[in-house]
Amino acid sequence: MKKTKLFMDTVVEIQIVLRETTSKEEAEAKIDRAFEAFRKVEQSCSRFSSDSELMNVCRVMDNPVKISPFLFEPLKFALEIAKLTDGEFDPTIGKVMEEQGYNRHYLTGEIMESPSADSVTYRDIVLDEQNRTLFLKKPLVVDLGAVAKGFAIDLAANELKDFEGFVVNAGGDLFAGGVDGNGHPWKIGIQHPERKNQIIDVIEISNESICTSGSYERRNAKLPGMHHIVNPKTGQSPNDWVSCSIIAPFAMMADAFSTTVFLLGRERGKELIENMELKGLFIRSDLQIDRMGGI
Amino acid sequence: MAKMDKKWVLLCSTAIAGVYAAGFFSTETQATQVESQPHAPIAIQTKVEKSSVVSLKSNEPKRIYKEGTFTGTGENRRGYIQVAVTIKKDKITDVEISDFGMHYSEDDVIGLPDEVVKQQSAQVSNVSGATYSTQAFEDAVQEALSQAHNA
Repeated sequence: MKKTKLFMDTVVEIQIVLRETTSKEEAEAKIDRAFEAFRKVEQSCSRFSSDSELMNVCRVMDNPVKISPFLFEPLKFALEIAKLTDGEFDPTIGKVMEEQGYNRHYLTGEIMESPSADSVTYRDIVLDEQNRTLFLKKPLVVDLGAVAKGFAIDLAANELKDFEGFVVNAGGDLFAGGVDGNGHPWKIGIQHPERKNQIIDVIEISNESICTSGSYERRNAKLPGMHHIVNPKTGQSPNDWVSCSIIAPFAMMADAFSTTVFLLGRERGKELIENMELKGLFIRSDLQIDRMGGI
Repeated sequence: MAKMDKKWVLLCSTAIAGVYAAGFFSTETQATQVESQPHAPIAIQTKVEKSSVVSLKSNEPKRIYKEGTFTGTGENRRGYIQVAVTIKKDKITDVEISDFGMHYSEDDVIGLPDEVVKQQSAQVSNVSGATYSTQAFEDAVQEALSQAHNA
């Protein structure tokens, strides 16, 4: 059984392997709950709609605001990655992205022009674990583009974990649970960076996520050589890699680290993968493939 | 070196637990939450310039859109597509795609020896790649919205 919906400006496909004993209605209800995770995370974390929880709380400047776990958790994760990389990955990149043209809601056409201080970093965001509040030291735009989708995939996967096999695929970032219809681990193709509708390799996973950051989709329409991954320190798009895929137990982790490795470039990216004992497949601009972590 | 990734695995699992602990994701309240947390207000846009974007206030008595589910069709590089757009109180609450499927045939796999291709490609129905956008669905969504438009 398979259902496809649009969320977070991408195509989210959920498929489950049905046993003969599973009722169709029950399966469909579960799939709907899984999609509900995407709806909630999007409504909480989107910087593309003025009535999302994120955009609402970012308008409050003077005091800490209580936020829902759908926003708190991915934001906390993003801040941890920012600390790890000393700000080379930084969720306060939102205003820069807005200015570079990544500012339009994919369904409503709403264009965002948000207030922001000129110079902001992740240190301007204060999360209070005890009270579950957010406090901004300066006006800024938070971009959770590298974590929110992963988090939604993880929540959706959690709703589907009782099925013998399922895949939650959000536009190429996915979690594959259990086994496929033939009882084998799921075979996942890796998109070829230059040839649409072709794959460059195949991996097998079960109860794991694979997320890919690449420079070949969402290129900047106005600025040549730029794409949707931007280094906050240089304002430039890194181009050491054309594609970074990370395999991890959780999609939020694979999502965040694929973006981070893309940002760090070849040498420091590899160092991070080794230190973290991550698994992944990385493609250079000449299409040479580096495999790491024994895949 | 100690397994550094333990920390991140733990962060991810506590993140999921955090949502459930707060009771935000329980069966009982699900139905009402679907309605209360829809997408952003619909703005009609002509794709030409920013100034043409009109934001709607959801508390306006006269609604711009009818309520319900409306279909629209379009074509993109992957073939014919149909979308079902659900609107409640002038907000898009759901966009479901039907008649849409990506297909990777054996010929699509390159960079692998032939034998491997034969073994592996038959069941590749999922592909990991840079997140593709929903641009290809815009026309179909617009068509559905125009059907929902109140006269």
